[in-house]
Amino acid sequence: MNVLEIKNLSVSYGDKLVIKDLSMDIKKNKITAVIGPSGCGKSTLLTTINLLLEENGGQFTGQILFNGKDILSYEKKDVRRMIGMVFQKPTPFPFSVYKNLTYAPKYYGIRDKKKLKDIVENTLKRVGLYEELKDELNRSATKLSGGQQQRLCIGRALTVEPEILLLDEPCSALDIKNTANIERLLKELSKDYTIVIVTHNLSQAKRISDYTAFILDGKLIEYDETKKIFSNPKDRRTKEYVEGIFG
Amino acid sequence: MLERIKDYLFKTWLIMSALIVVLVVVFLFGYIFINGIGSIDKEFLLSEPKGIPIGIEGGIFPAIIGSLLLMLIACVFSSILAISTAIYVVFYCKSERIKSFIHLIIQCMSGVPSIVLGLFGYALLVLYLGFGRSLLSGGITLGIFIFPFIQIRVEKTLKEVDKSIITSSYALGVSEVYTLFKIILPICRADIISAITLAGGFAMGAASPIILTAAVMFAPVPESLFSPVMALPFHLYILTGEGISLEKAYGTALVLMLLLLVINIISIILNIKRKESR
Repeated sequence: MNVLEIKNLSVSYGDKLVIKDLSMDIKKNKITAVIGPSGCGKSTLLTTINLLLEENGGQFTGQILFNGKDILSYEKKDVRRMIGMVFQKPTPFPFSVYKNLTYAPKYYGIRDKKKLKDIVENTLKRVGLYEELKDELNRSATKLSGGQQQRLCIGRALTVEPEILLLDEPCSALDIKNTANIERLLKELSKDYTIVIVTHNLSQAKRISDYTAFILDGKLIEYDETKKIFSNPKDRRTKEYVEGIFG
Repeated sequence: MLERIKDYLFKTWLIMSALIVVLVVVFLFGYIFINGIGSIDKEFLLSEPKGIPIGIEGGIFPAIIGSLLLMLIACVFSSILAISTAIYVVFYCKSERIKSFIHLIIQCMSGVPSIVLGLFGYALLVLYLGFGRSLLSGGITLGIFIFPFIQIRVEKTLKEVDKSIITSSYALGVSEVYTLFKIILPICRADIISAITLAGGFAMGAASPIILTAAVMFAPVPESLFSPVMALPFHLYILTGEGISLEKAYGTALVLMLLLLVINIISIILNIKRKESR
């Protein structure tokens, strides 16, 4: 089932066309990896999907259907709540772990202390931080290690119960061990969420994703099951890219 | 060899400059302290000025309270406007033209001589709006006086907030206003408070904005916003200007300086705390 259908999407910043006539469907509860060289428009694609694009000064034409309905027919805040986003650099708010995880739920009207505490505990368990942090909920999130920060940020995106999780190179600032942790976490989460991950790391895409899209210069070159993309790509450019000839 | 001599001379020049400034400050403090400490006692701090001409005996209690109240009103009035302006410029104003226009106005404001500002306060607040020579008129005039100081610092602080944190907040579907009050302002809180305290110190030490708008030679501790007040810098000016009592003038100057010192120390502590928390 397709949770997102992107149709003839073009995105531009001012005069600069960043994504050109891109169409693809994102399957529910699968991990979709988006690969391609730097500056090809991968990150822009994510910011377009959760409507952060205009915040960055860009605009798009074409259509994005979310659960069959045009994304623009939803309220902006609802789109962003249902489609969470995690960024390349971990961005914990400079407050306590507890406050980081209750920030959004409080905004959506949850005031009950016990409920908030449950959300914090469940979220920490989900992202595998509970054992490490259960006694340190008041610790400043900026004092956590990079890997912990990024897991906290994923957790924070989950506190508003999204359907889709967009991740923009979430592991590029992390070491191997933390990367492995996050990959395991994403695998786990894909049972309940649809995940779209932009990555620079081809082996990462290969390891965790079910589908892979290859974008070059703002155009979708090839989009298929990950196995096929990596073992038997149809397009010559895809083949060259996954074999490391350019990129 | 020549380079080394040049280097040496340059370094000596820098050290001498710093030394001269430090010495001047130390001398100033020391001189006022030595001359003023004798007249400071419980009566001086806690009673009203007495004698003829007034101020020759007694204390400066109403002036201390007056100065603190003037500072408080100036800070409240000014910080509300300054913080709001800064938020508008940083987060809401999209037009570069309007931004640079606002910056121009603020620069002009900070360039207005304080006595002119005092005259403006006198014309607008005291006469036209009929507030009279009062705590309110003086407080607002001082507020205008320190507005650019607070606005510029707050704007700088707001600009320094990590953009990615703000974007992460928007990415949760959270509104701009909630982000502002729950993330941006808490992050900047220590900085903002430090700017306001420093500006408060500025306001407290200024005499010319209040000469025509608020301060009088003698008044009891003000009962309402519309009462005239005594203020330390003005009292100091009268004591020396009219040649009433040099001894009391030194005492007043010392009290004023100590108050400013305390305010500055508070501001420094807040700054250190902020750096620790990051």
